[in-house]
Amino acid sequence: MTQTTQIPVTVLTGFLGSGKTTLLNRILSEHHGRRYAVIVNEFGEEGIDNDLIVDADEEVFEMNNGCICCTVRGDLIRILGGLMKRADKFDAIIVETTGLADPAPVAQTFFVDADVAERTRLDAIVTVADAVHLADQLGQHHEAEEQIAFADIVLLNKIDLVNPDALGGVEARIRRINPYAKIVPTEQCAVPLDTLLGLNAFSLERVLAVEPDFLTSDHDHEHDDDVTSLSFTSDVPLDLDRFQSWFGQLLQERGPDILRSKGILDFEGETERYVFQGVHMLMDGAPMGPWPDDARRVSRLVFIGRNLESMGLEEGFAGCRAA
Amino acid sequence: MSGGLIAGAADGVSETPLERRGLKLETGAPVTGAVAVGDAVATGFGDGTVRFFRREAPPLAIAAHRGAVLCLAADRDTGSVLTGGDDGRFLRLSPDGAIEELASFGTRWVDCVAAGPGWRACSSGRNAHVWRVGAAAATQLEHPSTVGGLGFDVKGRRLAVGHYGGVTVWKWHKRRWKPTRLNWKGSHGAVTFSPDGQFLVSSMQENALHGWRLRDNADMRMSGYPAKVKSFAWIGSAPFLATSGAETAVCWPFDGREGPMGRAPVTCGYGGQQLCTAVAGVIGVDGVFAGYQDGTVLAGMLIDDAGVDKVLKNAGAAEVTAIAVTRDGWLFVGDAVGAVLWVALGG
Repeated sequence: MTQTTQIPVTVLTGFLGSGKTTLLNRILSEHHGRRYAVIVNEFGEEGIDNDLIVDADEEVFEMNNGCICCTVRGDLIRILGGLMKRADKFDAIIVETTGLADPAPVAQTFFVDADVAERTRLDAIVTVADAVHLADQLGQHHEAEEQIAFADIVLLNKIDLVNPDALGGVEARIRRINPYAKIVPTEQCAVPLDTLLGLNAFSLERVLAVEPDFLTSDHDHEHDDDVTSLSFTSDVPLDLDRFQSWFGQLLQERGPDILRSKGILDFEGETERYVFQGVHMLMDGAPMGPWPDDARRVSRLVFIGRNLESMGLEEGFAGCRAA
Repeated sequence: MSGGLIAGAADGVSETPLERRGLKLETGAPVTGAVAVGDAVATGFGDGTVRFFRREAPPLAIAAHRGAVLCLAADRDTGSVLTGGDDGRFLRLSPDGAIEELASFGTRWVDCVAAGPGWRACSSGRNAHVWRVGAAAATQLEHPSTVGGLGFDVKGRRLAVGHYGGVTVWKWHKRRWKPTRLNWKGSHGAVTFSPDGQFLVSSMQENALHGWRLRDNADMRMSGYPAKVKSFAWIGSAPFLATSGAETAVCWPFDGREGPMGRAPVTCGYGGQQLCTAVAGVIGVDGVFAGYQDGTVLAGMLIDDAGVDKVLKNAGAAEVTAIAVTRDGWLFVGDAVGAVLWVALGG
C-alpha cells in the first residue's frame, strides 16, 4: 500500500476588517509556485486561475459521542473529503472562518474525524488581528478572545495606524491570553507566506520546540471570564496513574473552559518525554524520544482558558508527583 | 500522487485468474464511484471523467466535469447516469457519450444525485432540487443543513434527504412534495429505502448506520462499526443491506415485518486486518462482493457455505473505492489511485 500523504490545512481566523481578505488575496495572487485550495465563507470574489476556491457554510455539528463540548465543522468534513477525491493535488488547503467564529470546532474536526485525520493535518491556526481595534473587540466579543487563544500565529496587522505605546499594550494583551502564539507585526498583511504556512504547529514536535512567552504580571485581568493562561512545572517525576486520573477528570469536568492545553511530562520509570496537546476535551499525546542529556527533566504543563484559577490546577498537578 | 506510475499488482505472479483475464487500466485519477446501468457500469473519476464499461466494447471515456465527479446515480428510465461535480454541474450522460447539463450551481458543489421512476434530483448546499423527467423547472426543497444524501424509494413516491439532526422524507402528495422529519441526533449522510419501501437507513458521521421502520417510525440502531460506513448495497433474497466499515462485509437482514430489529447481521468476506471499504451485489443473489483497504476484493456467500470466501482480486496499490456488478455478471472494481478491473465473472 502507498503511504497516504497528509495535506496541511491552515485555518485563518480574525474579526471582520482585520485584514483576512487582504491576506487571502495575497495567497491567491502571488507567484509562489504552489497550489492552494481555499475554503471561504464570506469571500464573494471570483476565483483566480490555478487556485481553487470552495464556498462553504460554516456548519457546527455536535458529535453524537457524549462529549459535551465536542463540536466539529460538518461542512469541512464534507469539503475536505471532496477535495481528496480530486486527481490534481494541492500543496495546502486554507480554511477561512467567519469573523465571529470560534476556532474550536475547526480544530476538533481534525481530532475527531478519522477520514480528515488520515488525509489531512491541521498545520496551524493563524489569527489576523487589527492593532487598532483588537483591544475593544477583546472586551466585547468572547470570540475575539478565543481566536487569540487558539492562535499559533497572531498576525498583528495595521501597526502603521497605532503609536508604539499602544502597540506594546496590544501585544501585552495578546500575551496575557496566549503566551505560546508567535506575534508577527505587519502592515497590509505584508509578511512572507512561509511565516504563516507550513508550520506544523499542531505536531507534538512543535510542543517541544516552542517556548512560551509569559508576562511576569498576568493576574491583572479585568473580568472573571477573560481568557488567560497558566503554566506549571515540576522537577519531581510524575506518577502516570495519578496524572491520568487527575487530568482525565479535569478535561471531563472543565473541558469547556480549557481552550488549549499542552504538556511535556516526565513520568517516573519512563526514559522518554511524554508530549501532549489538547483542544477542550480532546487530546493527542505520545512519547517523543528520550530527554536530552544536558537538559533537566522538568515536567511542564500549560493551560489557556477561562476560570483557570478556580480549577485547583496547581494543587492537582502537585498531587501527581510520584511519592 | 501520480497514480499512473503505480504498477500495483501487475507483476502477473500475484494476480488472480479473474485479474489475468480482465481488462485492467491505470487511469491515474481516483475512482470516486460506480453504478450499474443496464448491462454497463458507469464510473466517476477524480479528474472529472466518466467512463462507461461495456460488455463487448472498449470503455467509453467522457470528459464530463472540470473537477472531481463527486456522485453518480443510475437513471434507469433512460439507461443513462446522473452525475454531480465540484464544478457545480448536474449532468446526465448516456452510454453513447451524449452529455446533457440538467443544472449548474456555479461555485457550489453538487454533492448528491438520485434518480427514481419519473424523477431526478440533486443537492447543492442545503437545497435538494427535484425534476419530473422531461420538465425544465425544478422544485427546490430546503433543509436545515447541507444535504448529506438523497434517495428515492423504488416507486418514486418518496425522496429521503439526509442532513444534520435526521432525515427528511418528502412524499409526493396532491402534486406537491410534503415533508416528514425523522429526527436522530448526529449528522446523516447517504440514505436508502429498503426495496419494499418499509425501512429507511442512513449512514452517519459516527461509525454507525441509523434505520427507521417507516410504518411507526421506530428507530433502529445499527452500530458497532470500527470505521464509517461509506458504502452499502441491497443484495440477496431477503434482501440484505450489505455494508462496509468493518473487517467483514456486514449484511443486515430486511425480511419480515421487523427487518433487522433484534437480529444480528450476517458477516462474510473476512478481510483480516483490513477494513472493508466498498461492497456490491445484486438483489436475489445471496453473495456479496467486498473490497478492502489494501485493494483486495473477496466474494462471500450469505447462506449455506458462509465463511468460505473467494479471492477475486489480490492486494493492489490503494484501497478499493468502488465496486459495481451488472445483473448479467460483469464486475467493476476501482481504487483510490485509479486502477480499474473490468471482468466477466462467469466461467
